Amino acid sequence: MSHEPSLSQTQAATNFSEPAPLHATTRAEIDSSLRFPVLLFFRTALFWLLLGSILCAITSFKLVMPCFLDGICFLSYGRLLPVALDALLYGWAVPAGLGISLWLVARLCGVPLRCSKMLIAAAIFWNTGVFLGSLGVLCGYGSSIPWLEYPNWASVPLFIAFLLMGIWVVMLFTARQPRSIYITQWYLLLGLCAFSWLYTTANSFLTWGSVEASAQGPIVAWYSANIFGLFLIPLALGIIYYLIPKITGAPIYSYYLAVLGFFSLLFLTGWSGMTLFLGGPIPAWMVSASVVATVLMIIPVIAVILNFAKMLQGQMGVIKESPALRFVAFGILSYLVAMVMSLIYALPTWNGILHFTNYSHGIMLLTLLGTVSMVFFAGIYYIAPRLLGFSWLCACSVRWHFWFAVIGLSLMTVSAILGGLIEGLALDDAAVTFVNVLSFAAPWHWLNLIAWMLLLLSYVSFVRLFGRMLFHATHPDQKLSACSFNSLASVS
Amino acid sequence: MNRLRPLFITIALLFFTGWIGFVAYSYLQLGRLAPQSDSDGSLPPFQSGSAIRGAKVYAAEGCMTCHSQQVRQTSVTRSDIDRNWGKRPSVARDYLREQVAFLGASRIGPDLSNVGVRATDSAWYYRHLYEPATEVPGSTMPAYRYLFKMQKIQGQPSEEAVALRGPHAPREGYEVVPTEEAKDLVAYLLSRKQDYSLPEVPPVPEK
Repeated sequence: MSHEPSLSQTQAATNFSEPAPLHATTRAEIDSSLRFPVLLFFRTALFWLLLGSILCAITSFKLVMPCFLDGICFLSYGRLLPVALDALLYGWAVPAGLGISLWLVARLCGVPLRCSKMLIAAAIFWNTGVFLGSLGVLCGYGSSIPWLEYPNWASVPLFIAFLLMGIWVVMLFTARQPRSIYITQWYLLLGLCAFSWLYTTANSFLTWGSVEASAQGPIVAWYSANIFGLFLIPLALGIIYYLIPKITGAPIYSYYLAVLGFFSLLFLTGWSGMTLFLGGPIPAWMVSASVVATVLMIIPVIAVILNFAKMLQGQMGVIKESPALRFVAFGILSYLVAMVMSLIYALPTWNGILHFTNYSHGIMLLTLLGTVSMVFFAGIYYIAPRLLGFSWLCACSVRWHFWFAVIGLSLMTVSAILGGLIEGLALDDAAVTFVNVLSFAAPWHWLNLIAWMLLLLSYVSFVRLFGRMLFHATHPDQKLSACSFNSLASVS
Repeated sequence: MNRLRPLFITIALLFFTGWIGFVAYSYLQLGRLAPQSDSDGSLPPFQSGSAIRGAKVYAAEGCMTCHSQQVRQTSVTRSDIDRNWGKRPSVARDYLREQVAFLGASRIGPDLSNVGVRATDSAWYYRHLYEPATEVPGSTMPAYRYLFKMQKIQGQPSEEAVALRGPHAPREGYEVVPTEEAKDLVAYLLSRKQDYSLPEVPPVPEK
């Protein structure tokens, strides 16, 4: 196991209460107690990532070639797309984020894991829920409520799973050894609390059907904005605040910026989201409030990114060498791009053109697969070697994983921006017939398909690498690949 | 910040501002809108049992992933009205009779809030669902042939048989009839009409 640059070496530069470095035996104890549950979360997450992106690739092929796999009920576009997106969100992003968070919370609280059976049960319940939900939608029991398409009975195992994890995290927080709370813990606490509130609210109001349809629009928009903005993004930011100081040894640049970034993000994200229905059947004041909040989101974004940029300044060498930091750097970049894109989308003048096109879908995919997933990959790159006790086996797979993802996401974003603009201009001109609007959008759907193919290659190379790591852990006498090299080993 | 409780309370309070604004307000105000009483009865009009079952088919097939159900009008765009997708913008009260409001955020297909005004012939809907591209050349809509069944003509041809011309037309001696699900779905689509007026939304003047 490599050295552990201490967070508190940097204490002189900030007045952040950073945790003292743990004793090596405590670290080893924490890691060995977490090995099975955290790896279980990662394993299932990668399965859903692969399945979700295969289904996404099929749906984008169906957009350019509607006769592909046509006329089969459980493979129709309207059923496959929600299953694919929900697999990426609930199957991949949530368990991967939770797996990383559990490890970070245990490390930062300095307590070895108790009741690991609870976490294993949580993982099983969660994946059962995702599986049953996907099956339900494919068999025609979907609800068509955005991000809550699973039939309502599938939300029960998901809820039990989250309850188990929540209890576990609260136990850990109250048992924490260093009494101080590091900024990463703030973000993780926010993410975990927000998810339970979001999921409970959305399910009791929407899936279990107690609210009139006239009131559903704002609640749907609120949930689908905040499940990203107040759950996945905070987890990702918390992970970045942990990884950069650990890998580079650089201190947190500014305590004040970190605090400003945290609270303004929390407040403003809660008020954004209604721009999804700008001009639609919801009260105009809600839309206005959200436009203001989304524009003001530039404040937390600048605060957070300035902090990160200052910490990464002059660290180009480390970014190139460290697989984790490279993914973090791209995650930060795509966070900036996605937030600027959603700011433009919120301005009524632009929204008039960009609404209902591929643009908003593009923002969502860039947030989910660019910002959130890339940072989660970084977390897995950092954590898995520590759990398994040896470093990543193959540098080529890491490069493929990174560069295919970067090119794929860039193409997808270009397609969302240019394609969305062209499609939107055509849609806004009533003289263009609707079928003609489709022909304007068609070339960009092809570009999207290419982007999905590249992303699929990227994810396959990562899953293959991860599988080899697991295989090597159980068969340590097998010969190692020739392309593992030292610079990777030294940082991971 | 060393103490967990103040941090937790701060997070909760900031989170609840947005929750109260968007969720609680929607539930208490929008959720309690009353129908508009009119000389013809109450608006929006009640829906038939078949249309209510059809909404479930609409949800199950995920029509919402491509079709929105909201007529939009803002200070910068009125293309929905110009496209004849509706005479006025949609408002919250229009959805009072629905179980789920399929507002949608994507338009890979046209808006359906008023499709029941634009197309009134149920036979057209059946032909279109069975083979979209023969009714609308250039359409990218998937075919919903699994909502129909092909059967051998026994004696007289069925009155419900769909008149098809395209490559998927049945062979000689066979006919295609809609299943109950298809009938419900079409009843639901025919009920998509926001052609009444409500006091909160004035009709849009012609250009």
